[in-house]
Amino acid sequence: MNIRDGTSINIPRKRLLVNCVVLVAALAACVALAFLKPPASALTERISPSFIEEAGDKYNETVYDYAVFNIARGKDLRIAAAETYIGIAGQVFSVDTGFMRPVADVLLWLPALLEGAKITVSLSIIAVFVGVFMSVFLALGKMSKFKPLSKACGAYIFFFRGTPLLMQLFFVYYGLPQISSALTINNKFLAAFIAFTLNSAAYCAEIIRAAIQSIDKGQFEASRTLGLTYAQTMRLIIIPQSIRRLIPPIANEFIMVLKDVSLVSIIALSDLTHMTRSISSSSNSVLVYIPAMIIYLIITAFFSFVFDRLEKRYSVYQ
Amino acid sequence: MALIRTENLYKSFGELDVLKDVNLVVEQGEVVCIIGPSGAGKSTLLRSLNQLEKITSGKIFIDEELFLHREKNSTVFRTASDIYKRLLLEMGMVFQSFNLFPHKTAFENVTLAPIHVKKMKKSEAEEIARELLGKVGLAEKADEYPSRLSGGQQQRLAIARALAMQPKIMLFDEPTSALDPELVGEVLGVMKDLAESGMTMLVVTHEMGFARDAASRVIFMCDGMMTEEGIPEKIFMEPENLRTKQFINSIL
Ligand SMILES: Nc1ncnc2c1ncn2[C@@H]1O[C@H](COP(=O)(O)OP(=O)(O)O)[C@@H](O)[C@H]1O
Ligand SMILES: [Mg+2]
Repeated sequence: MNIRDGTSINIPRKRLLVNCVVLVAALAACVALAFLKPPASALTERISPSFIEEAGDKYNETVYDYAVFNIARGKDLRIAAAETYIGIAGQVFSVDTGFMRPVADVLLWLPALLEGAKITVSLSIIAVFVGVFMSVFLALGKMSKFKPLSKACGAYIFFFRGTPLLMQLFFVYYGLPQISSALTINNKFLAAFIAFTLNSAAYCAEIIRAAIQSIDKGQFEASRTLGLTYAQTMRLIIIPQSIRRLIPPIANEFIMVLKDVSLVSIIALSDLTHMTRSISSSSNSVLVYIPAMIIYLIITAFFSFVFDRLEKRYSVYQ
Repeated sequence: MALIRTENLYKSFGELDVLKDVNLVVEQGEVVCIIGPSGAGKSTLLRSLNQLEKITSGKIFIDEELFLHREKNSTVFRTASDIYKRLLLEMGMVFQSFNLFPHKTAFENVTLAPIHVKKMKKSEAEEIARELLGKVGLAEKADEYPSRLSGGQQQRLAIARALAMQPKIMLFDEPTSALDPELVGEVLGVMKDLAESGMTMLVVTHEMGFARDAASRVIFMCDGMMTEEGIPEKIFMEPENLRTKQFINSIL
């Protein structure tokens, strides 16, 4: 009842919106700056003539994405000297000194990190989406009066909630082929998808069951006195009312999955965390964790916002 | 012709015997009010009739057809499912707590069951809904969600929703108990109109004024038994049973 006066829930909602806007604006600014490549002549003018002179024909230039330039001179493969320049907002800066180094690093890492983020987000979305679909049947099955069905669904949920996701993932990828070679899953993404879907179906089933059971008993009774069948009652009355209550816990589950996806490192699937770790070890620096965490924050803020809007849309009748 | 008849109805919740040998008859066109102290089993009786509660034993006849016959721990007779559904739908129910569908508008609350259960054409169901909403004074509120209606309006909507299935008898379980006092009148008004239009009604109520004015018969229930019944004048003016007397004195 007290949820009805909107004021108490509007405040965090607004704050969330502000956070999202700030993050998205910051990201947009970074990307815009990074893409404003200076003209090639600006770069050549910036390089000291003595550097090129000394290099003679052993001079080479690498241009990375996001306007990072690497020039080097040396004999054969041995690099005698190298300079890195970065072009931001039409200007060319030398990176070797001062605070531009980390900026250049982030720009260098960004493509790999975004590649990883793509895996993380797509795996989370399809795993939770298919998981929610499965979980509706699991939840209804567990609530069924038909004992074998309800026991089987209960056992499924018990198993997947009661064992570590890491082991489930490991087992799907490495364990199943040992049981029978027919069960081999060569695609790492597919293996991760299967493990995460099975797991989140179990969690979502409990969420859905709780939401359905939180619906007033009177709704079932009114439906029965009007002659609705059980299936009609579920489809027309109970599930539509459950959806609004489902959205916050499902959003929670989604954000948990988003972070749990980092476990796919164990089967060497290149998600955002895996990418971050390999950049960290090859660059011998932990700085890459900062942009990686910011990407995680942007993703979670974005999805919190989306789920929030969904919840609002399903609350029109409140 | 009796629309509802029970024979030796018993109902217990575990050890607790809530209905003891109830023999209820409601004739066509009658308005029967059930009064009695809280916990007497009035709600349980209504809910047993339309199968919201599973009776322990006894027989229920709806519209002179045997609907259910149970003896302790075994169902002796249950009608075929199509007949079962038809007889069940001859009873409309109005709950104390309304139990409207909160995610549907007033209009959709009324059209939902006719469309999905009776497979009525949408246009036909909508026509009936418009007529019924007008009858209960909610024509203006058709597109509102129940949460935007007052308690009295919600209960009138619940009455319209039950009537949309065109039942032969309406069961009311304390329809005004959850309402603020100033809203009771509008619901009782709709119920009186309904009674005058010839609807058969079985009403559990604490509104003695309504029982006196509108009832053709009053039943006093106590401890799971129909202790006394008769025309309102008799029950309210010269009750025979001591418990009835005490109850009437305590509330008047
Ligand atoms: N679902 C139930 N489980 C156990 N006891 C119940 C249940 N429903 C009702 N009772 C008990 O049955 C008795 C009669 O209840 P009820 O029919 O609601 O009485 P009334 O409507 O006359 O106030 C009460 O003692 C109540 O506690
Ligand atoms: Mg009651």
